[in-house]
Amino acid sequence: MGTAPAQIPTSFGHELRACLRCRLVKTYDQFRESGCDNCPFFKMDGDNERVVDCTTPNFNGMISVMDPARSWAARWLRVGRFVPGCYTLAVSEALPEDLQALCEEVHVQYVPPKRV
Amino acid sequence: MVRRFDDEEDDDVEEEEYEDEEEQLLDDEDYDLDEDVGRGRGGSSKKRGRSDFIDDLADEDDEEDEEDDDEVYGGGGGGGGRGGKRHKAPRDGSQFFDLEAQVDSDEEEEEDEGEDGFIVDSGADMPDEDVGRRMRRPLPLREDEQEDVEALERSIQARYARSSHAEYDEETTDVEQQALLPSVRDPKLWMVKCAIGRERETAVCLMQKYIDKGSELQIRSVIALDHLKNYIYIEADKEAHVREAIKGIRNIFGAKIMLVPIREMTDVLSVESKAIDLSRDTWVRMKIGTYKGDLAQVVDVDNVRQRVTVKLIPRIDLQALANKLEGREVAKKKAFVPPPRFMNVDEARELHIRVEHRRDPMSGDYFENIGGMLFKDGFLYKTVSMKSISAQNIKPTFDELEKFRTPSVKGEGEMVGLSTLFANRKKGHFMKGDAVIVVKGDLKNLKGWVEKVEEENVHIRPEMKGLPKTLAVNEKELCKYFEPGNHVKVVAGTKEGATGMVVKVEQHVLIILSDTTKEHIRVFADDVVESSEVTTGVTKIGDYELHDLVLLDNNSFGVIIRVEREAFQVLKGVPERPEVCLVKLREIKCKLEKKFDVQDRYRNTVSVKDVVRILEGSCKGKQGPVEHIYKGVLFVYDRHHLEHAGFICAKAGSCCVVGGARSNGNRNGDSLSRFGGFKTPPRVPPSPRRFSRGGPPFDSGGRHRGGRGGHDALVGTTVKIRQGPYKGYRGRVVDIKVDRNFVSDNVVISTPHRETSRYGMGSETPMRSARTPLHPYMTPMRDPGATPIHDGMRTPMRDRAWNPYAPMSPPRDNWEEGNPASWGTSPQYQPGSPPSRAYEAPTPGSGWASTPGGSYSEAGTPRDSGSAYGCNAPSPYMPSTPSGQPMTPSSGPYIPGTPGGQPMTPGTGGLDAMSPVIGPESEGPWFVPDILVNVHKSGDETLGVIQEVLPDGSCKVALGSSGSGDTVIAMPSEMEIIPPKKSDKIKIMGGSLRGLTGKLIGVDGTDGIVRIDDSLDVKILDLVILAKLP
Repeated sequence: MGTAPAQIPTSFGHELRACLRCRLVKTYDQFRESGCDNCPFFKMDGDNERVVDCTTPNFNGMISVMDPARSWAARWLRVGRFVPGCYTLAVSEALPEDLQALCEEVHVQYVPPKRV
Repeated sequence: MVRRFDDEEDDDVEEEEYEDEEEQLLDDEDYDLDEDVGRGRGGSSKKRGRSDFIDDLADEDDEEDEEDDDEVYGGGGGGGGRGGKRHKAPRDGSQFFDLEAQVDSDEEEEEDEGEDGFIVDSGADMPDEDVGRRMRRPLPLREDEQEDVEALERSIQARYARSSHAEYDEETTDVEQQALLPSVRDPKLWMVKCAIGRERETAVCLMQKYIDKGSELQIRSVIALDHLKNYIYIEADKEAHVREAIKGIRNIFGAKIMLVPIREMTDVLSVESKAIDLSRDTWVRMKIGTYKGDLAQVVDVDNVRQRVTVKLIPRIDLQALANKLEGREVAKKKAFVPPPRFMNVDEARELHIRVEHRRDPMSGDYFENIGGMLFKDGFLYKTVSMKSISAQNIKPTFDELEKFRTPSVKGEGEMVGLSTLFANRKKGHFMKGDAVIVVKGDLKNLKGWVEKVEEENVHIRPEMKGLPKTLAVNEKELCKYFEPGNHVKVVAGTKEGATGMVVKVEQHVLIILSDTTKEHIRVFADDVVESSEVTTGVTKIGDYELHDLVLLDNNSFGVIIRVEREAFQVLKGVPERPEVCLVKLREIKCKLEKKFDVQDRYRNTVSVKDVVRILEGSCKGKQGPVEHIYKGVLFVYDRHHLEHAGFICAKAGSCCVVGGARSNGNRNGDSLSRFGGFKTPPRVPPSPRRFSRGGPPFDSGGRHRGGRGGHDALVGTTVKIRQGPYKGYRGRVVDIKVDRNFVSDNVVISTPHRETSRYGMGSETPMRSARTPLHPYMTPMRDPGATPIHDGMRTPMRDRAWNPYAPMSPPRDNWEEGNPASWGTSPQYQPGSPPSRAYEAPTPGSGWASTPGGSYSEAGTPRDSGSAYGCNAPSPYMPSTPSGQPMTPSSGPYIPGTPGGQPMTPGTGGLDAMSPVIGPESEGPWFVPDILVNVHKSGDETLGVIQEVLPDGSCKVALGSSGSGDTVIAMPSEMEIIPPKKSDKIKIMGGSLRGLTGKLIGVDGTDGIVRIDDSLDVKILDLVILAKLP
């Protein structure tokens, strides 16, 4: 295991948001307070605007990944390399382009959601 | 919308500005200044004030806000003044969002109204600043970002240079998803039942449990799907692990743990990402409330707060609104949902509703504010939660779009509609060879043909010369193209399934002449494919079918003129103007099947199927059969009427029965005779009518219509009497009771009943006398050619049968045709002498005579026949009836005359019973000479030709297929008519054309198409009355 789990959402309602890159699910407040556990380079902490840009309330389904490395579901969903935590199965929006560029700069791949 | 704007302000605006603004705000509005000052807290007091200002709206916020504040200060800690502020500014806004949204989900509607009202006030009062701020905003933002990026770059490089870089890198390698398919070595998915609505919560709880307990918990993941309620999946190697994990979890109950088959594991996780493309102009549908199901157009989206401003056609009951605003009592329960109508400000003002005209600070547009609702161009602008609209697969119908465009300027709207349509296209929309037109971009209006279809691009071969051979065009920029004359099939939308020919192309809208209804239908070119198929389309939903008369929710009624996929188009029963509305299945209360009769302008009785002409109104001059009658309104079907599926709605008073008397009273000279004219029908009509319909007695097959009609006839009779001009003559109604009693075999009681009533009126004598002269008039009406049997069957012009002036009377025709001489030669009042050659058939004289008077009591007595006979008493065709019968008002005549006792008379076939051809025992066909029959005698079966029909019903038959053999006497039961085939020579055994010969030139179901030898007319006759000639 090793990696410390991400913050666990403190509520389950519509205040939940998912990171557009790693799909980690937390509440808006959590994102704003401590950013995304997988994508610190977004520097969401404290940046209200950034949180809004990098996360979305429109996501579908939730998966709590306890053991990402050994979970088939996590691998299938491509969150196997992320910290344990609650993720969503799919987000419906793509990361804004400037933030995609940011991903590139820090050599982090961003995979836009597949549209059906 | 306005609100959203304010919030954005909170988010975006730089600090300094913020304070300025705050001041302005406070200056401009005398808004709780005191309170603000009171609340002031050092540097951030102003901001705080603002948030308070907002909080004033929603009291609930206060408390939590306070808490949050503390939190923020604690957490943001050492950031110093600026940092603290920084934190704070966004904090206020965000806080506001969350709470706001919470409130909304609870009390959507009410909150909305309240807020709207407030915000408009504040917004409208300071439009200038708003505009100014808006313009200032972007600049600082950009600076901000730059800073951020630079800082980020540095920090991130520093961070990732050492640690997790590799990890992410690996992650990025694009492993084929295929390679990730689950194998036997992978953990399994187990399905566990959990409390509904707690799926996510449960997943999170398990995560928390894992964190608390560490690796004790051997589950790998927990999956909660949005679309699967009541279950969650747990990924683990062993069921025992799952069991262990769920122990003590509140929301999981039921010890059942189901293993998901390995092949289905990927299905569990393959959720389609909800592609919510909520953007301006998107078409959506409301999910809840008054507007449930209504089409709306997105005007503004607030992704942060999950709110959308949509434009709707208002459903507002102005009167109710006026009452409410004036503080008068409003009925708590909404009795009905007001129909969608554009807001008419003048109307509102008339009702003394205050209409404020305000400019929206954000868009600069003017809105009318009525009772807290915003209107523009008649549309209602409403801000709702995203959850309360559905944006998936919205396919506005053509009509809806049309309505939406009505008040605004046309033109642009079309493209808007199209773009949504395009978004909902199925895959494989375009196929090679399709004719297409480019609707967007530089190549707009270029036509071409599809050559190749790729994922998003369509390669087209342009029509125009000088262009490359093929062009790749994004499919969103393409629309199918058709030309008038194309035969097409509609493959999407409400008209799906319909086929027809394109008669006109209006931009991207096709006008198609439907194969089914022969009506013009308007569809989007995009929803259509070229096809030579001819379909009927849907004609039925639930219990309701095309052309049914239905009662609608709000007690209006109408006839279904078109069946769409989920709704009906109903032509409402409003005679003044054609009013068509779209009704959902649930909005229909019931089908109206009861038949009423009404009176036309000249007081002729109009029944269903009577042909009427419309004398006034927009449809003046049109004529056709009456399809439905309800509440004095006729639905006339004129197949030359191209609108509304040929249906015209007209008041009975503005129609005139075709062929009906202009006015009985005038013609007949005095009221007495008119009286007679009117009075008689009820009793008489059943007979001709039934007779005409029934055809020969053995004609059970050809009675589909007749059966129902027989019943109708009776009902019709009832109504006619009730609504007659001589309302006092209520005896009629009793008559009907008698009829009913006939059915219940209760004649003994009923008959006198009827008699008393009738005689109570003292009208019997004149009535009779009035009738006597009628018969001669009937004679000229025998026009076999003019009355195809079907008409005869359908047209219940009963009154006319007795009306000397009626130029045509199909029902009678039948009789007369069969018995041409009877009217002239055998007066009906000589009952004892049966017109021997009248039917050239087994004259049932004896049979009738032998009918016992008490036959009513026999089971199976059809009431129709009972009444029929009763009514028909004066008819000359009741030869066996005792002579006194028709004249004598006693109950006697009805009894012997009534063939009710004839056991073989089918219930509705009372008509058949009328036919004197059949004796009580003879069930046999209605034989006529010269026809070919199959004779079964003593076990043999031979062909024969009827030479003569003897009075007792038996026939003299010459054996042999050409009638050249021996002559034998055969009973009807021993003979069987040879059904004719196409191109056979035939003889008509029943109906108005009885006795005529012809050739069967075609068969259509149970109908035969016959060319009559004499006239060479082509008639459609029931097959069962046709007999083959040798």
